[in-house]
Amino acid sequence: MRVSLPGLYIALGVVLAGLIHVVAVLTLPMLAPRDAHARLAALGPANTMIQLPAAAPGHQVMPMMAPDVRYAVCRYDLSNGPVRLRAEIANELWLVAFYTPLGENYYAVIGADMKQPEIDLIIATKDQTVAEVGVDAPEAFDNVVVVNSPVVEGIALIRAPLAGPSRGAEAERALKATYCGPHKGSSPDPSGP
Amino acid sequence: MPLTGNSTRSSLWREEGSTSMRALGYFIGTFAVALILGIGSAWYMIERGSLLTTAHIGPWKSWLSEGNPNADPYTRAHLARSGRLPLTSTAARYFVANTDSRGSSLSAGCEYLIIGAPLNARWWSIALYNEYGSLIANPSKRYSFNSEEAIRRADGSFRINLSRNARPENWLPSGTDPNRSLMLVLRVYGSRDTDISGIGQIPYDRLPKIKRSRCE
Repeated sequence: MRVSLPGLYIALGVVLAGLIHVVAVLTLPMLAPRDAHARLAALGPANTMIQLPAAAPGHQVMPMMAPDVRYAVCRYDLSNGPVRLRAEIANELWLVAFYTPLGENYYAVIGADMKQPEIDLIIATKDQTVAEVGVDAPEAFDNVVVVNSPVVEGIALIRAPLAGPSRGAEAERALKATYCGPHKGSSPDPSGP
Repeated sequence: MPLTGNSTRSSLWREEGSTSMRALGYFIGTFAVALILGIGSAWYMIERGSLLTTAHIGPWKSWLSEGNPNADPYTRAHLARSGRLPLTSTAARYFVANTDSRGSSLSAGCEYLIIGAPLNARWWSIALYNEYGSLIANPSKRYSFNSEEAIRRADGSFRINLSRNARPENWLPSGTDPNRSLMLVLRVYGSRDTDISGIGQIPYDRLPKIKRSRCE
């Protein structure tokens, strides 16, 4: 059987194009220099809650941010142990979402599903034991939820959708009272924020 | 070394020189075409989406598994490029429109009427951006309308006027530059209708219509 020369080049071209297509699609997430994690890392250190400025023309941390949602972010790093996140949700619209650096939303707490307004979470990797730290703060430990993070470094993002016109300042105040920090450092301080 | 190697080879191949040069030309040509096709198709499927990754409902486009840890490679690449942190479809749905309901590109040179039916969700918002996802400066600092602030009619429906000049009812200003391309984003948080896997279901006929009323 004899394959014509142009046919061979076309076949080669199609195979090559397919390979290049696959390589491009798979490597792009790693090559994107301005992904959300990189944008948030520029705002401040890890393991602290940082309020994002309200989205305005020319002032957006991430593209397509909602102008009528206020955000607070905790870029967590679990390499020195679990991280604690506490928030008193102001209304049922609030959402706390957890992301890998690639933007995968692996877990979310929906305000409307909460029985009480306090959110108390410990973010830990699967290898980190959280049970032993419970000894330090045995009181009301059953209200604490452990979030198993698939990554050592990730993002916790609190969304406070505005429940009406000119409610921005109120949402910002409520977000200011949220806390994110190393779990061990926070436990001896019950009066913490 | 490479120089001598080359000269030996070309002297050996002298008789076939023109054929092999042509073959090399064909090969480079094939490679160039493959590069354009491969990168081009990847770019298109990541940027615009395809039947595998997106749903098109009238003017609205929605990436089905955006933010989902089990998302396909195209959606993951799209997300990384976008620099956003969207919620998965169990918590929120996002719909993006670059065109009106008839398929013409949204432009600040035109006026539009966005006609919406009530959405069964805890909260929704329609926000206006330029084609790069940035908000558009305007004196009234109005960038969006959400379920709590949009003026609604007795039947729960709403109308939003998208134009450069002030309009009654709900006015979403599109800035001063008439050549600007526009993009609308509808976010629906906490949809009350969900399917068995908890994914928020928005009846597609409920999504707002975008009608162009006039252009300059």
